Amino acid sequence: MNLAVDIIKRGGQRQSERFMREKLHASIVAACLSVRAPEGQAEPIASAVCESVIAWLQQHPEVTSNDIRIVATKRLRVYHPEAAYLYEQHRITI
Amino acid sequence: MDIINSLAIITLAALIHASFQLSVSVLTLLSGHAIGAKHSQTRLFRLTTSFVVGAGIMTALLLSCISLLLIDIFGGDIPQIIWAGGCGLLIGVGLAVWMFYYRHEKGTTLWIPRSMADYLNRRTKSTKSNAEALGLGLSSVIGEILFIIAPLFIAALVIIQLPPLWQLAGVGIYTIVSLLSSIIVWVLVSNKHNLGKIQKWRESNKYFLQFVAGSGLIVLAFFVYVNQIIGNSIGIGL
Repeated sequence: MNLAVDIIKRGGQRQSERFMREKLHASIVAACLSVRAPEGQAEPIASAVCESVIAWLQQHPEVTSNDIRIVATKRLRVYHPEAAYLYEQHRITI
Repeated sequence: MDIINSLAIITLAALIHASFQLSVSVLTLLSGHAIGAKHSQTRLFRLTTSFVVGAGIMTALLLSCISLLLIDIFGGDIPQIIWAGGCGLLIGVGLAVWMFYYRHEKGTTLWIPRSMADYLNRRTKSTKSNAEALGLGLSSVIGEILFIIAPLFIAALVIIQLPPLWQLAGVGIYTIVSLLSSIIVWVLVSNKHNLGKIQKWRESNKYFLQFVAGSGLIVLAFFVYVNQIIGNSIGIGL
């Protein structure tokens, strides 16, 4: 499901794009797997976080990719704090 | 300078090099992407091994290249002014590391050019093959050249004064010791250690690591200054 929400990319350097649920889902699954969570746990967590982010997006028609990362981190922290930590750290590791 | 003293300086310089964190950061990210992409443990092992080998190759190449340049310019007899310049470089970089190495924000972002950091981030994400991981290892060493140039320069000055076989040993020792931090992360990741815990440890101890790296550079400068400049001036150079 792709919402009619424009995502402004980091620094505004790249063209904005439509929100893609699959992309967010994959990144949450990847964060969970990176902290060695089993795939059977990662998938439902990613689905729950995506639903939560989509609900938030319905009130915000234009957001930045960083906003989505912040909201997704907050929601993910509820289900898996360690995965949320790594998800948050992704852009601030180097 | 006798061989033991030379090897001690090379090892200390390499330990300081090992305390710099760009290669470790890239290796952590690379492992995260590989695990997140559901690659097998064997493939993860191959990717991280290629990365560490790449970092080692670039370190050995840089050290050999600087040594060759110095031999070409000065032969085996290094003027005092070059030793003094090397000490100045160590102190300058040491102070810079104390003040600037980590950015004062969350995470473990470093004071390297942002374009370089973005490039490494993008490359890490798109690394799929062993050859790409090897290339990433090579690039990660170049990305930190501003900081590692000081220990590399001093190690090269010491290496070119050694007998030929010991020169090879010096390059080998420097390369292996400088990779220690990457090797530790590589072993942890290969043993299915949790990446979140590794990154959390790195973030919690980042200012300690910064302090150690800066202090190490200044201690090395002091040692080299006493040994090579004061010692040689009064005729008791070790």
